[in-house]
Amino acid sequence: MKLEEYRDIIPNFEAFLEAMQKPQPYWIRVNTLKISEEKLISRLRAKGFRFDKFEGMNAYRIVSMPVKHPGATIEHSMGYYYVQDLASMIPAYVLNPRPGDKVLDMAAAPGSKTTLMAQLMENRGTIVANDTRPNRLRALGSNIERLGITNTVLTKGDARTKKFVIYFDKILLDAPCSGEGVFRKNPKDKMPGLREHLYLSNLQKALLKNAWRHLKERGTLVYSTCTFNPLENEEVVSYAVDKLNMEILKVEFDVPHCKGVARWRDREYEHVHEYVMRIYPHLLDTGGMFIALLKK
Amino acid sequence: MPYSKNNVYRDYFVRRFGIPVDIMDNYEFYESTSGVWAFSGAKDIDLSKLDAEVVGIRALRVSKALKPTTAFLRVVGHYATKNVVQLNSEQALEALNGIDIEGVCGSLHGYVIIRTEHDVLGCGVCREGTLISQIPKKYRPDKTWL
Ligand SMILES: C[S@@+](CC[C@H](N)C(=O)[O-])C[C@H]1O[C@@H](n2cnc3c(N)ncnc32)[C@H](O)[C@@H]1O
Repeated sequence: MKLEEYRDIIPNFEAFLEAMQKPQPYWIRVNTLKISEEKLISRLRAKGFRFDKFEGMNAYRIVSMPVKHPGATIEHSMGYYYVQDLASMIPAYVLNPRPGDKVLDMAAAPGSKTTLMAQLMENRGTIVANDTRPNRLRALGSNIERLGITNTVLTKGDARTKKFVIYFDKILLDAPCSGEGVFRKNPKDKMPGLREHLYLSNLQKALLKNAWRHLKERGTLVYSTCTFNPLENEEVVSYAVDKLNMEILKVEFDVPHCKGVARWRDREYEHVHEYVMRIYPHLLDTGGMFIALLKK
Repeated sequence: MPYSKNNVYRDYFVRRFGIPVDIMDNYEFYESTSGVWAFSGAKDIDLSKLDAEVVGIRALRVSKALKPTTAFLRVVGHYATKNVVQLNSEQALEALNGIDIEGVCGSLHGYVIIRTEHDVLGCGVCREGTLISQIPKKYRPDKTWL
């Protein structure tokens, strides 16, 4: 199996493999722009949902539910909550957008992180949320509308070359990637090969370069993917440090995680691996996530 | 899509629904061919240069009259003090399902905000005492939902 190639870089590999075979639980986040956590959770409990709250965070794992899909409720249609894996929430928290910030979300659709950032910004400040694919942009638009998000501008363009006109305080590059970390959710997807990793790695570097161009001096950038391959993770972050002269900051967030990969094949990432965060499915029963924090 | 700023639409929500001015001041309004959009983001961004596809969320559709959208009423509707129709939970389900409801409009006429004790459901219109739900089909609950 293809994941075998990660045996040496993923700690507790057998537990990892086991978690990858199991279906992924659902998590939700309460849209506090519309309703308080207490109110929504007690309404859903009254309908028969059971939750485990992740302490200290607006994140609830669904233990059991009376419907087939976690979005099959009136509360969901009212925009009171969003179904989002816990691991996918973390990049937004690490970027930590504040109410007055100007934020660019370069590859934003369908908006899991855009909508969380709008929530952290209390619908103030500005988010420019971009994507290339029209159908995914439509999904982003309908999520924004459902959740009542009013501080966001949607743009369509290739974020490698697009001119976003303004400079941003903070940028999220949640990059297109091979998605190995979400295979639990979509087990029918095909495992990517080396060529795909290399192609994506170059795409990600080009996206990062344009992100860097649009970042204010001393602005911060979160680079994240939902994949395990170092070519799409540490390799891209090394490029930012070595070629774009960005400063790498340590990702501080209180969740079980592993540090980055120091060496992969003939590549060496000693200068970045201590700073980045890797979240694996067997740590918290989530999808996989890679997160790095960079500064211009 | 070209968007141009026109804040006269702010007054519509103040006059029609009694939403406080300081709430409405959070938004700037932009006209485009597809309606009027409410945006609470920074006022100093030149959206025309940014080539925006969508700005904030649609607040009004413009035809003969202005028609508020369910999506935007769900954002500001709980501040409304007039032209509000209050439903019980049974009636609320009917309104969500697009069923007309008699005897709830009183003397109201024209566009109203449909609310329950806890929720803003969206836009309706009162005509001769009957509430006609304007809540878009995409927000209709499926039979299997709870
Ligand atoms: C990992 S997904 C983003 C998920 C999203 N951030 C969320 O949290 O909901 C990557 C996105 O990048 C978009 N994408 C791919 N190539 C792109 C490019 N050159 N410029 C901008 N977006 C691109 C894809 O359409 C896809 O929606």
